[in-house]
Amino acid sequence: MNAGTRLGVVALSLLVMAALVATGCAKKEVGPSKGQNVDTLVVAMGADARSLDPHATNDQPSARVMKLVYNRLMYQTEDLKIENDLVESYNAVSSTVFEFKLRPNVKFHNGETLSSNDVKFTFERMIANKAPAAFLVAALDKVEVIDALNFRMILKYPFGPFVTHLAHTATSIVNEKAVTAGGADYGRNPVGTGPFKFVEWKAGDSITLAAYDAYHLGAPKAKTIRFRFIPEDANRAIALETGEADIVYDVGPNDYKNLDAIPEIDAKRIAGLTTFYMGFNMAKKPFDDVRVRRAINLALDVDTATRVAFEGFAVPAKGPLAPTVQFADTSLPGYGYDPAKAKQLLAEAGYANGFKTSIWTNNNPIRVKFAEIFQEQLRQVGIECAIEIMEFAPYLDRTALGEHDMFMLGWVAVTGDADYGMYSLFHSTQFGDAGNRTFYKNPKVDELLDKGRVSVNPEDRRAAYAEAQKLVYEDAPWVFLAFREDLNATRNYVKGFVPHAAGHHNLYKVYNE
Amino acid sequence: MSHTIIAPPAGTAAATASPVKKRSQLAEVWRRLVRNKMAMFGLVVISLIIAAAITADWISPYDYRTQDLNAISQKPNAQHILGTDDLGRDILSRIIHGTRISLLVGFVSVSISVAVGGGLGAVSGYYGGTLDNVIMRFMDVLLAIPSILLAIAIVSAFGGGIINVMIAVGISSVPSYARIVKASVISIKENEFIEAARAIGASDFRIVTKHILPNAMAPIIVQATLGVAGAILSAAGLSFIGMGIQPPTPEWGAMLSNGRHIIRTAWHVATFPGLAIMLTIFALNLLGDGLRDALDPRLKN
Amino acid sequence: MHKYILRRVLLLIPVMLGVSFVVFTIMFFTPGDPAKIMLGERAPAEEVALLRTQMGLDDPFHIQFFNFVKNAVQGDLGRSLVTKRPVAAEIWSRFPATLQLSAAAVLIAILMGIPIGIISATKQYSAFDMISMVIALLGVSMPNFWQGMMMILLFSITFRVLPSSGYGTLGHLIMPAATIGTSAAAVITRMTRSSMLEVVRQDYIRTARAKGLSERVVINRHALKNALIPIVTVIGLQFGSLLGGAVLTESIFSWPGVGRFMVDAIRTKDYPSVQGGVLMLALTFSIVNLAVDILYAYIDPRIKAQYK
Repeated sequence: MNAGTRLGVVALSLLVMAALVATGCAKKEVGPSKGQNVDTLVVAMGADARSLDPHATNDQPSARVMKLVYNRLMYQTEDLKIENDLVESYNAVSSTVFEFKLRPNVKFHNGETLSSNDVKFTFERMIANKAPAAFLVAALDKVEVIDALNFRMILKYPFGPFVTHLAHTATSIVNEKAVTAGGADYGRNPVGTGPFKFVEWKAGDSITLAAYDAYHLGAPKAKTIRFRFIPEDANRAIALETGEADIVYDVGPNDYKNLDAIPEIDAKRIAGLTTFYMGFNMAKKPFDDVRVRRAINLALDVDTATRVAFEGFAVPAKGPLAPTVQFADTSLPGYGYDPAKAKQLLAEAGYANGFKTSIWTNNNPIRVKFAEIFQEQLRQVGIECAIEIMEFAPYLDRTALGEHDMFMLGWVAVTGDADYGMYSLFHSTQFGDAGNRTFYKNPKVDELLDKGRVSVNPEDRRAAYAEAQKLVYEDAPWVFLAFREDLNATRNYVKGFVPHAAGHHNLYKVYNE
Repeated sequence: MSHTIIAPPAGTAAATASPVKKRSQLAEVWRRLVRNKMAMFGLVVISLIIAAAITADWISPYDYRTQDLNAISQKPNAQHILGTDDLGRDILSRIIHGTRISLLVGFVSVSISVAVGGGLGAVSGYYGGTLDNVIMRFMDVLLAIPSILLAIAIVSAFGGGIINVMIAVGISSVPSYARIVKASVISIKENEFIEAARAIGASDFRIVTKHILPNAMAPIIVQATLGVAGAILSAAGLSFIGMGIQPPTPEWGAMLSNGRHIIRTAWHVATFPGLAIMLTIFALNLLGDGLRDALDPRLKN
Repeated sequence: MHKYILRRVLLLIPVMLGVSFVVFTIMFFTPGDPAKIMLGERAPAEEVALLRTQMGLDDPFHIQFFNFVKNAVQGDLGRSLVTKRPVAAEIWSRFPATLQLSAAAVLIAILMGIPIGIISATKQYSAFDMISMVIALLGVSMPNFWQGMMMILLFSITFRVLPSSGYGTLGHLIMPAATIGTSAAAVITRMTRSSMLEVVRQDYIRTARAKGLSERVVINRHALKNALIPIVTVIGLQFGSLLGGAVLTESIFSWPGVGRFMVDAIRTKDYPSVQGGVLMLALTFSIVNLAVDILYAYIDPRIKAQYK
C-alpha cells in the first residue's frame, strides 16, 4: 500500500467517525406526543403467544391477546370485582344450577350473532378438547340451551368460585361456525366478539389486531394494536424509551427505576396476584420434621432477600395468599429472621451440625437470585445446599414426581379467589402436577379447603380460609417469600391504560393522544 | 455459534509435519515464536491467567461467595477495585476465581474433542475404506447440526453443571479435529519410516500412537489452542441463556448474563467479565496464530 | 461431473438419517413428558396415559424413530406441541428472517474480510497487517451477546439512530447483521490472509512476477483466483453455521429467526419442533456446502478432473 492509499484509509475512517458523531448530535428525541402512526398502539411483551384458540393453551401472552379478541360471560374488573360481560343477567337457581341471559345483538367478527348455542358449543368443546384450562370448569356438568339468549349451567357439585371462573380468558366464548371453518388452524384465525379483530401474526415477531367497529359497546379508541415480542427485559425498556413501543408489559425491576425517572414515561406499579415461595419436599427427610421447616424459615432473611431480588418492587410474604386475593389473611405475623433460634431448632431436630441438601429452580433470574442468597444464608447455620437450575418443563415434571429437596416456584391466583390460590397447592388430593409439590397433607386443611370451595356464603368461606391459612403458616410447608408487584409502563401520550393485577390488561379504551 | 474457528487449509500444516523429530526443530519453532511479538504477548497473558487460576485463593481480596446485601452493585471504589455485583460480591475476586472455571472448561472440552475427534480421525485416516466412510459420514452428521444447538440440546437433556457443559461443548467440536487428524495421518502414513516400522512387525496401534500421531501434532496443537478459545466462548454463551454452570460458581458468561439486566444502572457488572472473556480469547488467538506461523516452515522469510 | 453431484446428493440421505437419529436420541433422553406438555400440567394422569398411547410414546425407541423417519420422508414433520401448528409451517414462517440475517452478515463479512485479508497478506508484518489482524482477532474475541448489547447502548440509546429490536426494515437488520458479521469477518480475514500467503509463494506467482507483470495484476489475476478456493469453502461453512447458530444474537435483538425458535423448542421440550427444525437446518447447511463444493469444482479444473 502506498502513501496515497494509506491516507485514503485514514480519511475514510475519520469520515465514518464524523458521520457517527453527526448523527448522534441530530438524535431524534421522542417528545410528549406520538409523531407518527398515532392510530397504532404498539405493545411490547416478553414472549410470543402460543395459540389464539382459548382451548389450545393457557399461557399468559396468549391470554393477553385473547382478552381483546374475545369476550367472556363474566368480566373481572381491574379491582378484581366480577361483573357481567356477554351476560345481561344471571341468577343462581340453586347451589348447582345457574340461569343466564345473554346480551342481545352481539356480533362475532364473522358477522354471526351470539347465541346460547355458541356458549354450549364453547364449554362442550373446552371439555372435549381437554383444554389445558379445562380444570376451571371441572365442576360443570352440562349447558342447557333454553332459547337463543337464555341458557342454564348445571354443576356436578356446588362450587363457590364458579361464576368467577367464567371471567377467565380461557373461558372466552367462541363461534361454532368460525371454529369449524378454521379447522386445525383456528388458533391462527381466531374469531371472537371482542373490541379488536385478528389481522396478522408474524411468528416470533408480532401480532396485529384491528379495531372492530361493530363492537357491541361501541368501537374501540385505537385503530390498530400491534403486540411485539421482545424477550429481554432490558430491551423492552429500551423500546419504550426510544419510542419503538408505546406500552411495555412486565418491566424488569431495575429498568422500572430508569423508566420512572424519564418525564415522558408513565411507570405504573400495582399489587399483583403472584405468591413467590420456596417449598420443602415433605415426603423426604429431613423436611418431614416441622422443626426443620420452621428453622429454615427462621434462618433466612426473607425481607432483605426480597428487597434485593425484586429491587424493592415486592412485599415480603407472611402467608400463602397475596393481600389482593379475596379472603387473604394479612394478620399473620411471619417467621422473622433469627439464625440463633434456627440453630437451636435444628439441634432439637437432631441436626446440630446441619445437613446437605439442594435448592431447585428454573432459570428465572429472580428465583435464581433468591436461591443464591439463601444458599449463602443457609451456609451460616450449617446447611450446605447446591443449586440446581433446570428448564421449566423438566423442572415441573421432576418436582411433580418429588425428586427435589427444596424448590422455588410462584403461583398466580389469576381469578383473585382464595380457592384458586390455595386448593391446588395445599389439598392432599392435588399432589404433584396439580400443584401440591410439597406433598403437604393436613386433614384439617383439606376439610377447610373443601368447605371454602363448596359453600356459597362468603362469610363461611372467609372463616374457612382464615383458619386454613393459619394452619398452613404453622405447618410451614413453604418459606413464604414475596408478593410481586406488577410493573408496566407507557409513554405519557398513551391515555386510558389501567393495569390489571392478573396481567391481561384491557386495551379497549386505550389510545395514543 | 458463529465463532467457529477454522483451521488453515487442511494441507498447510499437515503437510509440514516432518517425519524426523529433532530437538533442534523444537528449538527452531520456539525461536520463531519468540520473534513474533504478538504471539509472545498472547503467551504472557495466558501465563498470567494460569498463574491467577493457581493462586486464586491467595490473591483474591475477598471470598468469591461472600455476599453483602447492603452493598450491591457498587461502582468500582477503593475497597472493591472492580465494584460489586448484584448480590454485593466482589467482582475482582469472582473474575480471579473465574479463571479456573474458564480454563478448566476450555482445556477439558478441547481434550474431549481432541481425544474423540483425534482418535476417530486417526482410525479413519489409517485404515481408510468402509470404516473411514462410516466415521466421516458420522462427522458430517455432527457438522450439519449447528454446534450451539447441539450443545444446548445436550445440556437440556442431561442437565446443567460444569461436567455436562464440558461434554456438550467438547462433542460439538469433534468433527474439526477428526478432519485435521485424518488429513495428517493420510499424509504421513505413506512415508518410508512407517513402512519400516510395519516391516519390523509393529502393531497398528503402536504405529499410530508412536509414529504417526507425534508427527501430526503440529496442526492439532494449533487447532486446540484456538479451540480452547472457542470452548470458553461456547460455555459463556450457554451460561448467557441460563443453561450453563450452576451458581455460585463464578463463570464469566454467567456473570455477564447477570449483569445484563442492570447494564443501564451498573455498567461495570457486565463489562468486566466481558473484558475478561475478550482478553483471554484474544490472547489464545494470538498464541494460536503465532504457533501456526512458527510451526509452518514455509512461512519462514 | 454429474456422477459426482449425484453421488454427493445421495450421500445426503445417510447424513440426514444420522442427524435425525442423533437429535431423536437426545430428545428421547430429555426429561419431560410430551403428552403432559400437550395437555397442560394439570391434566389427569389417565388422560395423559391415553394420549401417550395415541401418540405412540409408549412404543420402544426404534419403533418411534422409525415412525418419525417414515413421516418425515413423506414431508410430515408433525405438529408443534406448544402451538399445535405443523412444524414445517412454524419453521417456514421464520426462515426468511434467518436467511436475511445470515446473508447480510456474510455479505458484511466478505466485504470486510477479503480486502483486509489481501492487503494484510501482501504487506505481511507491516503496520497495516498488524493492526488489521488485531482488529480481526478482537472481532472473534468478543462474545456476540456482549457486542450486541454494547451496540444497542451506543446506537439505539446514545445516538438514537437504529431501532433496538425487531424485524422488518433495513434499519432493524443493521445491528444484528453487524454483530454476527464482524466475527464471521474475522474468520474470513484470517483465512484470506493465510491462503494468500500460501499462494504467493507458489512458482507460478514467481513466474508471473518474473514476466514483469505489475504487482496488482499478479495479485488480482493470479494469486487471488487460486487463493479463493479455501476462502469460498470457509464462506460456505460460515453461512451454513449462521443459519441455525445465531441463537444468542437473535435473542438480543428479538429477531424472529429459526435459531431462537429452536432454543425455545428445546426449552419447552417441543420435540417435534426440535427434530423437524434441526433436520431442516442440517439439510440447508448440507445443501449450501454441496453447492459450494460444486461451484468450485467448476472453478478449478484440477478438482473437476478428479471427479470425471
